[in-house]
Formats: sequence, C-alpha cells, structure tokens
Amino acid sequence: MREQLNELVQQAEKDIQACSNQNDVMNVKAQYLGKKSLLNGLFARLRELPQEERPAFGNLINESRTKIENLIDAQAKKVKEAAWNSKAAGSNTDLSMPSIFSAKGGYHPLSIIRKEIDDVFISMGYEIAEGPDIEDDFHNFDALNTPANHPSRNLADTFYLVGGGLLRTQTSTVQIRVMESFAPPIRIASPGRCYRNDKPDPSHSPVFHQVEALVVDKGISLADLTNTLSQFASIMFGANVGTRIRPHFFPFTEPSAEMDISCVVCGGAGCRVCKHSGWLEMGGAGMVDPNVFKTVGIDPEIYTGFAFGLGIERIAMLKYNIPDMRILFENDLRMLRQFRGESR
Amino acid sequence: MKIALNWLAKYIDLPSSVDELDRLLTFAGIEVEGITPMPALPETVFSARILSAEPVPKSDHLHLCKVDIGSYSYPEKDENACVQIICGAPNCRSGLMVLIAMPGTALPEFTISKAKIRGVESHGMLCSEKELGISDNHGGIIELPSDTTIGVPANELYGLPDTVFELEITPNRPDLLGYIGIARDLSAKLNRPLRMPEVKLPEPVSTQLELPLKLINQNRDLCPRYTARLFSNVQIKESPLWLKSCLIKSGLRPINNLVDITNFVLLEQGHPLHAFDYSKLAPIANEQIPAIVIRTAENKEEFISLDSKSYLLDGDELVIADGEKPSALAGVMGGKISAISQQTTSIVLESAAFEPGSIRKTSYKHKISTDSSYRFERHLSEYTVEAASLRAAQLICELADATMCSTVHDDWQSPSVPIILGIRPKRYEQVIGYYMDGDKIMDFLGKLGLSFLQYGNWKPGQIASIEDVFCHHGEEMKRGVTEFTELPDCVHTLYFRVPPYRVDLEREIDLIEELARLDGYDAAPARKVQPSIMDRHAYRIKRQMTDYVVSRGCYETLNYSFTDAALMQKLGYNANDPEMKMITLRNPQSSAMSVMRTSLIPQLLINLAYNINHGEKNVKLFELGKTYLLDNAKHVELVQLSAVITGVDRDEHWQDKAVKLGLYHAKGLVEELLELLGISGCTVSAVNKPFLASGDGYSYIQNDREIAYFGKLSAPIAEAFGIDLIDLKQDVWLINLDADRIVELCRYINLKFKPIPRYPSVTRDLSFLIDDSVMYRDIRDGIMSLDSSIIGDVSVFDEYRGKQIPEGKRSLSIHIKFQDLEKTLTDERIDHLVESVITMLKETWQINMR
Repeated sequence: MREQLNELVQQAEKDIQACSNQNDVMNVKAQYLGKKSLLNGLFARLRELPQEERPAFGNLINESRTKIENLIDAQAKKVKEAAWNSKAAGSNTDLSMPSIFSAKGGYHPLSIIRKEIDDVFISMGYEIAEGPDIEDDFHNFDALNTPANHPSRNLADTFYLVGGGLLRTQTSTVQIRVMESFAPPIRIASPGRCYRNDKPDPSHSPVFHQVEALVVDKGISLADLTNTLSQFASIMFGANVGTRIRPHFFPFTEPSAEMDISCVVCGGAGCRVCKHSGWLEMGGAGMVDPNVFKTVGIDPEIYTGFAFGLGIERIAMLKYNIPDMRILFENDLRMLRQFRGESR
Repeated sequence: MKIALNWLAKYIDLPSSVDELDRLLTFAGIEVEGITPMPALPETVFSARILSAEPVPKSDHLHLCKVDIGSYSYPEKDENACVQIICGAPNCRSGLMVLIAMPGTALPEFTISKAKIRGVESHGMLCSEKELGISDNHGGIIELPSDTTIGVPANELYGLPDTVFELEITPNRPDLLGYIGIARDLSAKLNRPLRMPEVKLPEPVSTQLELPLKLINQNRDLCPRYTARLFSNVQIKESPLWLKSCLIKSGLRPINNLVDITNFVLLEQGHPLHAFDYSKLAPIANEQIPAIVIRTAENKEEFISLDSKSYLLDGDELVIADGEKPSALAGVMGGKISAISQQTTSIVLESAAFEPGSIRKTSYKHKISTDSSYRFERHLSEYTVEAASLRAAQLICELADATMCSTVHDDWQSPSVPIILGIRPKRYEQVIGYYMDGDKIMDFLGKLGLSFLQYGNWKPGQIASIEDVFCHHGEEMKRGVTEFTELPDCVHTLYFRVPPYRVDLEREIDLIEELARLDGYDAAPARKVQPSIMDRHAYRIKRQMTDYVVSRGCYETLNYSFTDAALMQKLGYNANDPEMKMITLRNPQSSAMSVMRTSLIPQLLINLAYNINHGEKNVKLFELGKTYLLDNAKHVELVQLSAVITGVDRDEHWQDKAVKLGLYHAKGLVEELLELLGISGCTVSAVNKPFLASGDGYSYIQNDREIAYFGKLSAPIAEAFGIDLIDLKQDVWLINLDADRIVELCRYINLKFKPIPRYPSVTRDLSFLIDDSVMYRDIRDGIMSLDSSIIGDVSVFDEYRGKQIPEGKRSLSIHIKFQDLEKTLTDERIDHLVESVITMLKETWQINMR
C-alpha cells in the first residue's frame, strides 16, 4: 500500500507537469483530488491495515494529498501566467496605422463665430433674443429714429417685398421688439441675418449676419459701453487686444460711435489688413437715443442704455484670414472641412 | 434639544397655539424637528398608596396589593378605602406612593378594565411612566414622593397636558442651548418681556462650618474661569416631583436631588455644572486641605468615569483633579471616585468656562459625548459661569437642606472685555434691502440682551471704549432730544454692548443678521421676477439638433435666404402647391435672388452638385435655417433642418470598412434625433414629395402635422440639378426636420425614472418566414401588446432572403426579452409566453416557426 501511494504521487507529479492549459489542470485536479480519486480509495482501505499502523499511514496519505494540492496550485499559476504573457508579448501591431474615427462633420465658420459670441454674451449675463428677418418700416426705420426721407431707406440699400414689408437692414429691429414687450432692466444679444442691396464682392454680401447687444437699466453710461466692449473684445480676441470708440453718426444712438479693435494681424503696428492704421473697425455703437426710448414707452429720464452691433462675417474673415466674403456662401467642402477643428 | 412648553412658559408668555410657536421658532432660525403632544390623562389616574403587597402564590413576580385610594368613590372599595390590585412590577412594595389607573381608564395604548389574574380580582393598574405616555421608562411603577397626598390627579402632579418641542440648534448659537436662551429669542421675536428666575440665596452661615479648599488652576488657556462653591449638611435624596417631571419631559432621567439640580440648571441656563463629593477630594502631597487642581492629564494617566469605565489619557486632556488623580474630564464627564452618592454630606459645586477646542478634542478622542461636552464645545462664555452657579446654589440650599459656605472660590484672572459694536441703519438697508430705524433696532437688540450705549460716528470693527465714538449729538439723542432738522452725520451709528453669552456676535454684519432674522426674512421687499426674454429651451434644442447632425458626419452650409422660384419648379412643385406661394422681392438683384426660400432643399442640392463637380464622392451637408412662407398674405418664418447625404457612412478605413449610405442611415438620422429629443409616438406614412422616389421614405406625423421626412432623391430631379445618379453609382438621401415644431413638441416632456428591475431578464429567439407584405413593425407591435408587463423588448437581429427562401418571402430572426418586475421568471412561464407569441403569429399572419 505504501508503494502504491509512492507510485501515485510520482505519477501525479508527472501528470501535473504535463498540464499546458487551465483545462488540463482542472482535469488533473479532479483525477487526483476528486471524490473518486485513488487517494480517497486508499483512505477507504485504511482498515485493512493493523490498528496500530493506521494513524501513521493516514498521516502519510494526508501529506501526499497536501503535496499534490500544492503542485497543482503552482502549476495552475504557471499556466495562467504563461497565458497572460503570451497575449502581452509577440505583438507586431503597427501603431502608426490610421485610427478609427466616427463620421466627420463640422460647423460653418459663421456659425462657429456666432456660437462663440453667443456664449460670451450668455456668460456675461445677457439673454439671446431673436426676431424676424421680414420686418416693417416701423421696426426697421421709424422706431429707430430714421426719418421717412432718410437716405438709408433707398431702394439701393434696402430690399422691399411685393405687397409690403422689407428685409431688415440690421438686427437693431430686435431692440425695438424686445423693448416693446419687456420692461428694463434688459440685457440682450440678438444675432441674426440682415440684408442690404449690395452686389456680392470680396467685402460685401446681400445676406450677412450681425450680433447686436442692448443694455437698458438705471444708470447705464457710455463708460459701461466702453467697458463692455473691451471685456467682450478681450474674451473674443485675447487679453491683449485694445479697443477704442470714435464719434460717428447713427440715427438711433446719441452719442454714436464706431468701435475699433487693435489689429489682430499686426498687433497695432500697421499692416495691409488694417490699412496701416493699426486698428480694425468692428461695428457701430452708442447710447440709445431718447427718441427710441419714447417710441417704445420707456422713460428716458429714468433709464439709459447702450447698444452695439458687430458683423459676424467680418470677425470670421479677420479671425480665419478669409480673403473673400463670397467663399463663406459657396459651401465648398474643402472650405468647410478646414473648420472641423473649430466646431467645439 | 427637548423643550417642554409648560416649563418654557415660566420665562415668557407663549403664543396661544402650538402652530404659531412652531412658525415663530422656524422663522427665527430655530429649526423645529418634532412636536410631541403630551395629552391630559383621565381624572381616573391619581395618587394612591400601597398599604400591603403580598406575593401571589405560584408566581415569581406578581404581587397582590391593597391600595388606598382615599376618598375616590369606587363601588368595590373596602372599608379601609382600599382596592385590590395585582401588580407585576419589580419595585412594587408596601408603603409606596403610586399612580393608580382605575378600571375604565383609557391610556394612550390600552384601556384598563377590571380583570381576574390567577383567579384574583384586580381593580385597576399601578402605572409606569411609559404606560402613562410621560416617558419611555418602563423599569417599574412610578414611585411618587412619600409625602404626596392620596387622590391628587396625575395631571396635576406631572403638569399635563403639555407639549414637547424637539429643537435643532445651529452650532453658532450656544446661547440657545437652554430654556432661557430660547425664551430670550422669543422675547425679541414676540416683543414680550423675558422673566428671569428670581435667585435668592440664604445668608451664608458662620465660619465654623467653613470647608477649606485649595484651588489651583495650572492652565488658564484651557480654563479661563473656574468657580467653586462649597456646601455642607447636604442631604442626598429624591428630587421633588416638579423637578423630576421637568427633567423627564426634557428627556433626562432623575437620579438624586443634587444631580437633578445640576441637570436642571444645565437645561435652564444652558451652562453645565458639576458636583464633587468634598470628602473624596485628596489633598496635595504633604498637605491637609482637600484640593482641586485644574491641569492637563499626565501621559497614560487613568481616569475612571461616573459610569465605571476606564480611560487612558494621553496628556492633551484637561482634567479637574484632586491632589492625586483626575476627578473629572473637564467639561465632558465626572469621575467615579468623587461622584455624589447617598452617603455624600458635603459637596463642591463647579461652574467653569473651558476652551471649546480642547473639549471637542477630548470628547472626540475618547468617544464621550455628553450634554455637557455638547455645550462646552460650542463655546460658553466666562460670564454665564456666575449665574449658573448662583441658580444651582439656591436650589441646593432649598432642595438638599444644605448649608452654603461663605467663601466662593473664583479663579478669574483676566476677564474678557465685553464687545462694543456699531450698527448703521443705512448699512442694514444696503445689505437687507429695506430701512430699519434706530428705535426698532434698539427694540430688537435690547430684547436679545444687548445694551444700547450711544449714537455716534461710524467706526468699523470692535470698539475698545465708547469714548472713541462719543459725540454730544449722540448723547442728546440718547436723552430723547430730537429737534434736529436733519440728523447730524455723527449719529448714523448705534453702539451696543454685546452680552457675553452671545459669543457669536462679533461684527456689524452679525447684528444685521440678528435684526433681519427677528424682523423676518419675508420683510425684505419682494421684487417681481423678470420674465425671460430668451427662449432658452428653443435655443438649446436647436443647438442640440445641429450638434447631433454634425456628430453624424454632416457639414453645415449657409445659403442665401432668397432664391429662384424656378428651382422649386425643378423640384417638381406645381403652381398650386403651398411651397410655390413665395414672398417676392420688389427690387431683386437678379432672378436667382428674387424670392424668399420656402425650402432648404434646392440650395442643398446645388451645394451637392457643386461639391460632386469638384470631385467629392461622399457628401453630407445640412443647413439649419429659416424658410419664409406666405400664409394668407401673412409672412411666416419657419426654421427647418434639412440634410442631403450620399456616399459612404465615414471615411475609408483600412480595417473598419465603410458602409454605403442607405435607407436605414437616412431613417436613423431622423429617428435617432427624435429619440434624443424625447419625442416618441409619431405615426408614419409613405413619404410623398415630388422630388423623392416613391416607396423609399417615411413622413413622420404628430398631431396631424408632418414634423419630419426622409426619402431617396429621384433620378430625374437629380438630373435637373446636374447630378447624374447613374454616373454617381450611389443614391442620394434627403432628410428634413421641422425644427420649430420639434422645439415645441419637446418643450414640456417630463421624464420619470422607472425602478431598475431587481430580477434578471430572459431573452428567447424566434426565426420564421414571412411574406414581404408583412411589416416587421406590425409583428413587433403585435408581440409587445401580448403582455406589456412581461415582454420588455422585441428586436430583430437577422433578415435573410436567398436560396432556400421562396420568392416573395424572407426569414426574420428576433430576440424577445422577458422581464418581470415582481419576481424571477420561471422556464415554464417563459415557455408559456413564447407559445402564446407563436400562436398569435400563426393566427394573425399564418407564420410558422423555422
């Protein structure tokens, strides 16, 4: 019986070492340690031995069992580690091969600029307000203090519609619509399409986009306008950009101004883009004319306000160095693809 | 903290209703966590005396008692005015004054009736506190003081009815951790006077009875003030019932008169006290006089607490020691050795102020939180030490028949200087939003215990001396002189001395907070909410729509708003179609820009043709923009999202092959976007547009209106726009979404979370042949409607047409997911459900399983 046990252990050692995968190990384990294993069979035969030999031989069987168990555990670990390593090593992948991307799409550069401007204004506590493209004389001219015989009402400048109405020439119309419906305090930015009867050329388009900002509250001054402009410009164009406003004329603001930012191309030193002035014209601005307030029923003695308007095409062209406005409306994929990285 | 109203009413006249008090406290910043009414007990519960108590034979705990009920009229009373009662309480014994509930008494949890226990009649019940609803104590029957008269109703003895408020005190207000503190705040809030308890001390007796004590304070940083009063001839006994019932209602267990008195003062004044047995205090080595030494513990010094637990101290803890060992963990817990016992005859009463951080550390380190540590770690003033000590002294003399020694030990070297603060009514207005005049400020702050000193010039911060802000105008104002035509500048600040118990008032803004709180936050003027100018929902949804389309690989285009009417004719529209009723420009630049667009499609097709002509094969373009419609001569601007897609679904990849864009891509673009926006339940019909091939697209309809469609561009229309589909070898798909209507459809969608199933789902697969005329959607709907509570989902995973399949048929393979929310599904149940699906398919469409 003792010999039988020795043989069993030797055979087990061989079988265990021959295991090359986890499945083999499980089978060997069942064979040598399972309920019907030979080892268990030897236990059953203990009573064939004389009483005094039984404890010693019982211990011997247990020791053998422990030995086999340890061998199996060690082999199981070895086999598993080998499997892990075989997967980790031996890779001949070319990491530089192209990755899998999802389908590639992107926003139009004008939308990118518009969204960026929207977000700047929203972060400054403004609400986004939109209005109709098709307007009437009242909202586009009368309410904006533009008299009936004003030159800007010319057919050469404004598109009129058969049966009445016109296409708005600036987004200031939204000012009027908001002030008609809401009491101050008002802080809005109104982005949208505008129309002027200009032939398409490198710097003109009959359809273009503007953003207009309007703030109406007690105690709003020209100083708030300049502060807001520089804050806006520093967020849009960077902390180092300079701003200035120059006296100008618009019918619906008094005082009126044109606003400039320091040239984003040359930094103010003078270049072809800024026509060597160091400044780039950004749009019109001013304090809301008391007549405009009266038209919409806001007391100009209590409230003051400022407004300014920006051309989105102009900002996009400056920012992305686009030489011709017409490119923006061709929708050429070779142009659109370039702005995928800006579609954030 | 539990506050009983009958007790609270000793200090202030309370509002008549509990609800009103609840509201007042809540809006004074004192959170009411619970209100427990203690209703009156029936008059049939009253005091009685056990004349005899004999064990009931064969019972290990029952007693047969003869109980004297005095003059109470009861038919079965014997000649000695006694009734017979069986009582099982462990403390039942002869001579005890108890509370009896006579038969018929309705108690909170049950009604007493005459009963027979072990064959013996029992006429009523001797009650525990719990049975009467007074407390949770069920340790035995109530033991009334032996001098109680028989026949006094329980209501009278326990001050019932009563109401107990459970209050949550914020950590900045240690002054509210007592009845008087709460009463003081209510006094300010209600503008009613506060009644402080009258403290009258008996004359200290002659010096023969003087007890010597050596008081040594070795750590003034952690104990800025320590006072000790000594008493001799102290009689330790039970407290009177009024004191017991005060403690019981506030959630404390009565122990003996001395412990109860310190607890009572803790509850009333908010300042914890401690009493030591004088005879147990050891002197300092080589001396004879008992000592109290305030010091930090020695490292590894042992402390045995009142409740016999041993703590190993590490040297950071402040202890109150005698000459040898710690007698108390300062401000946290008393020690066993010097604890008051029945044998105690002389005591030391400690009233002290401790540094809050040290108390907190000790309490946290040794995991001991007591009513005392809770208060000290919130910072109690050095000044409240005195009042608490006096109040306790009075009660000890009265209730323990003690003799007070004349010497008061008070180790107070550097009293902190009371704070003087200014408050500007203008500043109040600036911060809170309305003006509060000086008189009102004085009223509120005066009730809180601040004393008004002076009007004066504004000087920020704490004022060392009122002289610093003195001005004669202020002095005149204080005297009531008001004939200034306009207030001089110097009197715009009111200066107050802050009472020491308000350790939280350190700056002007703290006073402003108090005033605003007492006047009520709702006194601040409400402004109208500004209506929203921006349509935030519409803005967000439109961005989400474009973000999605971009993420699916489309590039955005922008086209002019005006176009050429001929383009719409090229699309196949007739003059009568609404799309042809266009808004016309009076002064167009050219015929190509002469009308406002009614659709985004023609320009997208021009963009497509342009890009194909420039060599692009895979083109996916969209525009989100306005269309301009004429509706009965009115101009309507409607935002649409249109897209055109052709080619493959993504860039060519060497490993992951691109798929040609087909019907299900176009369909998916529409349906996934609707799903992302939460729009479900659209009905569909075959799309019908003049430029789309018939039968290859859907119109999506909600509330009888088309909100979206997709379809395949028909070859002749493509050709009209310069696109040769035969040459291109791929289909062109068009998608249109009515953005404005979709924005409205998802404006008020309100999603509700459904519980996650707790039991596993089971999926079974079926494969079968169906006629091409049978729609998968109908099959899916049919199966889902069989038992919607169990059939969670049906999805198709294979469609096959080919060799073994007869012409006009196809093979479909579907997963059916079963999910029961209530229990685990058994195989039998699923088999049964699958069987019913098969039967339904067979009966409805003559479908047989493969």
